[in-house]
Amino acid sequence: MSKIRSDYEKTLWRKIVRFVNGEKDFFDEQSGFDVESEELESRKHNNFFEETEWKKKKVQITELIEERSEETDRRAIKLYEKFYRLFAVITCVAIIAILLATVTNLPDYGDASNPANNEVSKKYIEDGIKDTGAVNIVAGMILDYRAFDTLGESHVLFIAAVCVMILLKIDPDSEKGKRFINLENDRAYEPKNDPILAWATRILVPLIITFGIYIIVNGHLSPGGGFSGGAIIGAGLILYLNAFGFKKTERFFTQKTFSVVSVSALLFYSVSKTYAFFTGANGLHSFISKGTPGDILSSGLILPLNICVGAVVACTMYSFYGMFRKGGL
Amino acid sequence: MINAFTVVLLGFLIICAICTCFSKNFLTSVIIFMSYSVIMSILWMVLESPDLAITEAAVGAGVTSVLFFVTLKKIHAMNDQKNEDNIAPLDEKEKDRSADM
Amino acid sequence: MIREIIAAVLFILGTLIYITATFGVYKFKYVLNRMHAAALGDTLGILLAVSGAVVYYGFGFISFKSILILVFLWITSPVASHFIAKLEYTTDPEAEGNEYRSVSLKELEKEEENK
Repeated sequence: MSKIRSDYEKTLWRKIVRFVNGEKDFFDEQSGFDVESEELESRKHNNFFEETEWKKKKVQITELIEERSEETDRRAIKLYEKFYRLFAVITCVAIIAILLATVTNLPDYGDASNPANNEVSKKYIEDGIKDTGAVNIVAGMILDYRAFDTLGESHVLFIAAVCVMILLKIDPDSEKGKRFINLENDRAYEPKNDPILAWATRILVPLIITFGIYIIVNGHLSPGGGFSGGAIIGAGLILYLNAFGFKKTERFFTQKTFSVVSVSALLFYSVSKTYAFFTGANGLHSFISKGTPGDILSSGLILPLNICVGAVVACTMYSFYGMFRKGGL
Repeated sequence: MINAFTVVLLGFLIICAICTCFSKNFLTSVIIFMSYSVIMSILWMVLESPDLAITEAAVGAGVTSVLFFVTLKKIHAMNDQKNEDNIAPLDEKEKDRSADM
Repeated sequence: MIREIIAAVLFILGTLIYITATFGVYKFKYVLNRMHAAALGDTLGILLAVSGAVVYYGFGFISFKSILILVFLWITSPVASHFIAKLEYTTDPEAEGNEYRSVSLKELEKEEENK
C-alpha cells in the first residue's frame, strides 16, 4: 500500500497541489508527505498499534524528512547558482554595451574643440606661474587654485585609515587581545632575521626615503608631489618593517606618531586652505611672497602643503600594512 | 598619438585584466594585477603624466599587492594550490613552518 | 656614428637576453629553473640595456639616472630571487632533500625506472 501511495505522491500534479497549498517546496520531489498527515492516515487504518510504536515511527519519519530537506536545499542552491550566473552574464553584457556606446559618442582625443579646452584651462596655463609661482602647473593647480579638492582627498585617505583601524585594531590590553597576541604574536609577525634582506634593506631604505623626500620637496618644480612621494616613503617603511620586524619600527612609529603626524598635517592644511569654501576657487591674495619661480623655496604655500599631503599618505600606507599584519601599529 | 607601442601596451592591459579575473589561484591573480599596474604606469608615461606614473608604480604595484599578499596569508589562501596539487596532504608541521616564514 | 652603432648593438644584445629569459620562463617547468631564467634578464639584460643608454647619451644626468636604476635593480632583484627560492624550498614537499617529500613523486619515479 505504501508503495502505491509514494508513487501517487511523486506525480507532478500532486506536487503542484501541495506547493499551491503551501505544504511543501516545489523542488522537493521525493518527500511528498509530512509527519502529521502520515500519522493521521496511519491512525485511521492501524488502530491496533501501541503508542510506543507511534513514537518510533514518528522519529524515523522526521529523520527521513530532515535528510531529504537537506537535499532539497542543495537542489535549490544549484538552481539559484544557475540563475545567478545567467543574470550576472546578462548584466555584464548590458553594462559593456552601454559603456561602449558611450565611448563611441565621446569627443575625439586631443581635439581642439573639446569641452575641456575652455577659458579656465587657458587661464591656468597662461597665468599659472604668475599666480602661484610654481613651475609645475599641475602642482599649482591642485594645491593652489583647487586646494580644496586635495584637502578632500587627503581627508578621504585619513578616513580610510581610521576605518581600517576601527575594523582591524586589536586592543592589546583586553582579554581577547592578550589571548590573540599570546597565540599569534610570538614570532609569527617578526620575520626570521634574514641577513641578505637585512643588508639589502640597510642599503635600500635610505635611498627610497631620500627619493620620496626629493619627490615631495620638488613637487612644485618637477612632476610628482605629495601623493607620489608619500606613497614611496610608505613603501620604504613597509620594506623596513618586513626586514627588521615590529620591535625596531616601534622605536619611531607608533599609534601616537600616526595620530600626531596625520592630525597635525591635516589641521595645518585645513587652517590654511578652508577659506576657499567661502571665497570660491580663486581664493584670497596670499601675503606670502611667491619667490622666484624655479627655486626650492618658492611658490608660497605649495611646498608646506605638499609636505603635509606626503606625511598623511606615508602614515596611511604604513598604518594600513601594520593593521593588516598585526592589528596594531 | 596612438602608435604601435601604445597599441601593444593596451593589448597587454586587456589581457592582464582578463587573466586577473579568470585565474583560479588568488596568488596568480595578484601577481597578474601587479603587471597590470606596471603596464598602466608605462601608459601614464606615454600620456605624458609622470607624476601619475610614479604614483601608480608605488601604490598599484607596490603597496596594494603587499596588502593583498598579507590578506591572502591571513585567510590562509596561499597554500590552497599546493594542497590541490599534491596527493599527500600537507602535515601540520608544514603548515606551522609556512606560517612562521 | 660609431657611438650610435655601439649603443644599438648593446640594446639589441640586451633585448636578446630578455627574449631568452622570457623563453626560459615558459620553457622550464620547475620553479627554481624558471627563476634562474628570469634572473638572467634582470641582471645581464638590464646591464646591457643601461650601458647602451649610457653610451648613446654620453655622460650626463640621464646616464647617472640610468646607472642608479641599474644599481637599484642589481640590489633588489637578487634579493627577490633569494626569497622566491627560499619560499619554494621551505614550502614545497617535493623539493630535493626535503623531509616532507611526498609519496606520489616517489611512486612516479619508481614507475619510470621500471619502464
